[in-house]
Amino acid sequence: MMSSEPSLVFAPRMKEKYPQPLTFLKCLSCGTENSRPFKEDDYILKMVDSEKCPKCGGMQSKIVNIYVPDKKPAK
Amino acid sequence: MKDFQQWWKMADIFQALLNPSTGGENILSLLLSLIWLVFLMVFFLYPSFGQRMQLSYMLRDLERKLNKLKLIKEEIGQVTVDTIKRIGKPEKDPAPEIERLSEFFLIQPESMDPYGLVYKLEHILETGEYAYEKEVAKIAPHATEHQLKSLTNLVEVLRGINTLYRVVRHYYLLGKKTSNIYMVLQIQMILPMLIEIAESYRHAAVAFSKGQPIGDGIGVLVAAKLADGLEKTRYEIAKDTIVQEIELENRKVYVVRPAGPGGTVGKPGEAVKQLVERLPENPKLIVTIDAALKLEGEESGKVVEGVGVAIGGPGVDKYKIEELAKTRGIPLYAFVVFESITEAITPMRESIAKAADTVLERVKKLILEKVNGGETAVVAGIGNTIGVGG
Repeated sequence: MMSSEPSLVFAPRMKEKYPQPLTFLKCLSCGTENSRPFKEDDYILKMVDSEKCPKCGGMQSKIVNIYVPDKKPAK
Repeated sequence: MKDFQQWWKMADIFQALLNPSTGGENILSLLLSLIWLVFLMVFFLYPSFGQRMQLSYMLRDLERKLNKLKLIKEEIGQVTVDTIKRIGKPEKDPAPEIERLSEFFLIQPESMDPYGLVYKLEHILETGEYAYEKEVAKIAPHATEHQLKSLTNLVEVLRGINTLYRVVRHYYLLGKKTSNIYMVLQIQMILPMLIEIAESYRHAAVAFSKGQPIGDGIGVLVAAKLADGLEKTRYEIAKDTIVQEIELENRKVYVVRPAGPGGTVGKPGEAVKQLVERLPENPKLIVTIDAALKLEGEESGKVVEGVGVAIGGPGVDKYKIEELAKTRGIPLYAFVVFESITEAITPMRESIAKAADTVLERVKKLILEKVNGGETAVVAGIGNTIGVGG
């Protein structure tokens, strides 16, 4: 007998994690760039006015990049 | 004495094991000789026995990998259903509709008579895209325009993995049914690459469900950064495609790119064609920026430049720009950023994102070198604009 679907008895399980991108915000007052984990409504070149700059306290910033940091080679 | 006898008996058995045809006079020796004889007979009288054993081993390996593909497909299906429920807020369960859309197909136009083939293909692709978007809109009534585009991409990822799984399963079952080792061998050989693509689909599904920029969007990112802060005016020139007019040291630059941040590639070919036809005089050059598949061993994020039209996909957009440039004698320049197939459809990596600034500088330099003050240039950012706004 030939089944149309392969059996799942010895099937491998999904263990890998998804890559987590970081969002880079540039403060429009002092020009400092900060990063934080990506949030769902983020997109590059979005103007953000709800997050405080940790350096100058300015409320206006722009998302300048979103990416997954490269793994640094172990020394 | 007893120990010695025991030891001698053991030695006899050992000798029989080492050389069953001549060693020893016990029953074990006879038995082993018989087994050897049966083996020899099997191999002499049934020459494909070895091949059958190899086939069963290969089928087991294929089944294990097929299971992995099935799990990936199911996971992507679950991500799709959950995202559509979360964003689209449908009134009824969208799973059956999503299942139906995952089997959606496009029939390639007949190529026996190649005349007008590109436009026939364009028509079919446009019809498919329109129908697909409408179907996704029906199951996600509360999604915004940009979210709808990303959801359409997500369902397309599901369709891609579904096709991949069905094709591999087809060859597995056909190979098993016909005991055709060569068929099984072919699919087994390419399966590691197919698994890698499937893994990329898995990560792509999450990127599309959350609206994260992907590696393929690098061309669009460069175009968006080029126009950022310099834009004088913007307008939609083709479906999902915008033009941003900027000025760069007295040179007028028309930046063409898909409108983000939803997941779309727009219609860069039609957009460039429409734009150039509207301009009072021909631009001095057309620059296309896109991601390109790297060869193994090459560095991700490496920037390379050349001539021609850097656009992948079915070829309609590439054809339109080439045709236009040839007719009007406009030079075509291209910049590509190297990345793997996995990097192209998964969340953008640091090395690729940082290449955007390098490309940006090189594009500016090229324009300043080749275009005189008062003249115009067209720069087209190619790729999927998910997660890139501006």
